[in-house]
Parts: sequence; structure tokens; C-alpha cells
Amino acid sequence: MRLEKCWFCSSTIYPGHGIQFVRNDAKIFRFCRSKCHKNFKMKRNPRKVKWTKAYRRLHGKDMTQDSTFEFERKRNRPERYDRNVAENTLKAIKKIDKVRVDREARHHALRMKGKKAKEQREAAKELEQSIHMVKAPAVLQQEPSLTLPKIKVKVSQQQSDENHAMEE
Amino acid sequence: MTNTVTLNHLGRSVFGGLGNISSGSLRTSLDSTWNNFLSQQQQRTFIQMRTVLKVVDNSGAKKVMCIQALKGKKGARLGDTIVASVKEAHPNGKVKKGEVVYGVVVRAAMQRGRCDGSEVKFDDNAVVLLDKQGQPRGTRVFGPVPHELRKKKHLKILTLAEHIA
Repeated sequence: MRLEKCWFCSSTIYPGHGIQFVRNDAKIFRFCRSKCHKNFKMKRNPRKVKWTKAYRRLHGKDMTQDSTFEFERKRNRPERYDRNVAENTLKAIKKIDKVRVDREARHHALRMKGKKAKEQREAAKELEQSIHMVKAPAVLQQEPSLTLPKIKVKVSQQQSDENHAMEE
Repeated sequence: MTNTVTLNHLGRSVFGGLGNISSGSLRTSLDSTWNNFLSQQQQRTFIQMRTVLKVVDNSGAKKVMCIQALKGKKGARLGDTIVASVKEAHPNGKVKKGEVVYGVVVRAAMQRGRCDGSEVKFDDNAVVLLDKQGQPRGTRVFGPVPHELRKKKHLKILTLAEHIA
């Protein structure tokens, strides 16, 4: 039993899944599901299709070079079954997976970094504009602790009288 | 006043629906022609009477037309033998045009399930000509051949093949 990779999306193909297409030049294309197969038939380039691993690796969204990938290289030599080796391999697979996931998370965090200032500005603006959706403006005026500190603007007495007249 | 308003609304919605349908059908017809042009994939059905298949050995024939699928009610699949009539042949070959021959399907556009649950399909329909005993008539086989021939006891074809899929 061998776990293959889908030619289009690079996900693993487990036994019992997918279609294998053999072209006349003897190149074998394996697909994990009909979505990938249909995209292939449409002659789409996986490097241009956003949800594939090929695109993500090409555009730096996912890790490309890592020592954990060395463990997954294809080996064509059959190994003699040895119980201890098998047990150690299974343990190692778990550990390597954990390490790889951690590294990928770190890569992702690194990619998403550097937006703190922008996020602060956006949050402040949203608070200012849409606070009426959460709390009624009347309550906000009564309890000054709920609002952001406002800059005081001097308004002349005449103008405030006019405003009151208009509201009524 | 209100009646005309409602009529207008109805009219607009109907017209909008019609417009949608027409544009949708246009798009689908365009899409289908475009897809046909782009994909040009082989029809994925059984090999039955009147199916033309490519011959991939050097027995002399180039194209044969299936007369009978020797097993299966609906038609032959990958690895089955068929009776065929030679439609096109090389000018000086062992097999002549119009001859009735036996062949084994080595490539089929229709997917065949494997015992591990996966499916295989090839790009075209191809046969290797056999004699009555099931031995290949040619001495070379071109293109990939599937594993399924091993179960059907066509081991000679497997040895002659350049690639086993």
C-alpha cells in the first residue's frame, strides 16, 4: 500500500480513493477526487489555481524548504520488515508531523505579522462609527466611561439653541 | 394605480427571468462548445459493436472495428477479449484488411476498478491482436499496458510491453 499525492492539489490519496489516468506517453496522473480530475480535464494549471498546494508554495503562502520534508521522499526499495524499526518509524512519524505543523504555524504567523498599527486604527474607527449598534447613543451620553475620550470643541451658546430648535 | 404598479412588477420579473434563462442557455451552449474544443476527452463507455480501436502491436493492422465483445452483456472493458474486423492495415503485414481477428483490450477510456478500490483510465481505446489460443500475433507492443492483463493470463503481452501502468 502506498499513499500517493494528488497531481493537482498535492493532497494524499488514501487507498480506495481517486482515479488514476494513464496517458499514452505512460505518464500517470493521480487525482484525489473528481474536483481535481475535472480541473485537470479543463486543462487548468495547478500553479494558477488558488486552493492548490502548488499555488501556495509558488506564492510563498506555505513553507517550501524544510528538513521535515526530507522524510517524505519517495523510496522505491522495499524494506525488510523489522518490528522495532516499524515501531520507531510510527513514533517518529507522529513527532515529525508535530514539528512540521509547528513550523508551518510559525511561518504563517510570520507572514501575518506587521499589521498591529493598521488593526488598531481600524478598531478605533469601528468603535467610533458603529458603537450605536451595540449601545444606544442616549446611554453613551449619560455614561461617559463607555465612549472613547472625546476632544472637547467649544460651541457657542447661540448655535446650541438653534440645534435644539431643529431637533424638536 | 396600484394595479398597474403590480403589473409592472410582474412584467419586469418575468422578463428578467426570461432574460436570465436566455443568457444562461447561451452561456451553457457556449461553454459546452468551448469545453468540447478544450477537453476533447474520449467517451467513457464500453467497447461494443462498431467501436473502432487502435492496434498497438506490429501485427500489420492499424485500426479494427469491434464485432463482438466476448464477455459481458453491455460490452468489453479493459482486459477483455473481443472479436474484431480489420478496417485499416499496413500494406505489407501479417494481417490484411477485412480479416476477422481476436484481440485483447489493453487501453480503455472507460475507468476500470482495481482491487484496492482505485480506478484507472487511459487516453484511448487500444487492442493487441491475438490468435485463437490467446497468444499475441505481433512481436512488439507500444504504449502503456495495465496490470489487469496478468490476471487474464496475457503474460506474453506484459513481457513485450514497454511500460506497465
